[in-house]
Amino acid sequence: MNVVIVGCGRVGSTLAREMEAAGHHVTIIDERVSAFSRLGEDFRGDAIVGTGIDESVLRRAGIERADCFASVTNGDNRNLMAAQIAKEIFKVPRVITRIYDPIREEVYRELGLETVCSTRIIADLVRDYFVDGVNRAHAEPAAEAARLARLGAGRAS
Amino acid sequence: MAAAPRPYVLIVGGGKVGYHLAKHLIERDYEITLVEKDHDRADWIQHQLGTVSIMVGDGDEMAFLATTGIERAAVVIACTGDDEDNLVACQLAKGKFQVPRTIARVNNPVNVHVFTALGIDAPISATELLMGLIEAELSGSDMVKGVAVKASGASLVDVALPDLSTLVGTRVRDVRLPDGVLVVCIVRDGDPVMPAPDEVIRRRDELIVYSKTLDVEEVRVSLAG
Repeated sequence: MNVVIVGCGRVGSTLAREMEAAGHHVTIIDERVSAFSRLGEDFRGDAIVGTGIDESVLRRAGIERADCFASVTNGDNRNLMAAQIAKEIFKVPRVITRIYDPIREEVYRELGLETVCSTRIIADLVRDYFVDGVNRAHAEPAAEAARLARLGAGRAS
Repeated sequence: MAAAPRPYVLIVGGGKVGYHLAKHLIERDYEITLVEKDHDRADWIQHQLGTVSIMVGDGDEMAFLATTGIERAAVVIACTGDDEDNLVACQLAKGKFQVPRTIARVNNPVNVHVFTALGIDAPISATELLMGLIEAELSGSDMVKGVAVKASGASLVDVALPDLSTLVGTRVRDVRLPDGVLVVCIVRDGDPVMPAPDEVIRRRDELIVYSKTLDVEEVRVSLAG
């Protein structure tokens, strides 16, 4: 699969390396060249300097051929705008965006965008740990192994 | 008799554009609330504009927006310096608060059609407008003095005919124009004249030309040919 990621912070770079390790072609976009050092020297995908809310930058990143798109910068609005461009203008089949603000996440999910809210997820995990003493982030090693196996299943033929 | 209620306009962003806009609309008797993130800036505006309603907060924060009376706003105008913030503020206004009309300042001109595609009623790029004006001046021709007012990709061009124009003495119906281009008005000695098919174009006429797709320069070329 062709994967386009906007934002090469901790989430973006981790995702890029995982997807690449699973055999997919990854293009990652960030405004700061220095951010790409997070990818490590063995990263073989494409790194594009620019903003993910600019169509010409997205085109250069090959968004017209992308199967998957994720916007994971640290700006909610930037992520929302980039994801909507990918979905509505470039018709990328799978588009997801990371939102910090749970309320904004809910609104855009209602409006039809695929979202993931790290704030919500972490708050829920910690609350569960407080209540029943189980840390679900690390509770199921078997499930984690299955997840990694599935990651390679969508590999381009 | 009760006075008609003043239209309520919510302005997001108290920078140069937002501030002057608020000032202007207050003078025109609109009811305004200005939303500004920065406390100091908000204080300054309050000081300048006196009794205007200013709220300090994020124009893209749902909980905050809900306290601004946004649901009764006739228009929301987002004019911060960041396109993504303007987009989200307008989308929340429309999607969550059913505001009938949203106007957004677009800082990067390439985003105008993105905003349109994403449901903003009126995306306005100052840079694009300015470029149109400068381009018209740049063309260096006596012929095009006017401006391109771009709305939905169309241009309205004010063409001042030079004395030697081949169009002088031509009837409107005989002016050959590309598809999607129409003379909508003749300005003669400062007065508007209906461009009826038999109207003959005179020296020193100005033509107001609507073009669906062409830009200022192309309209100029098509009228010069």
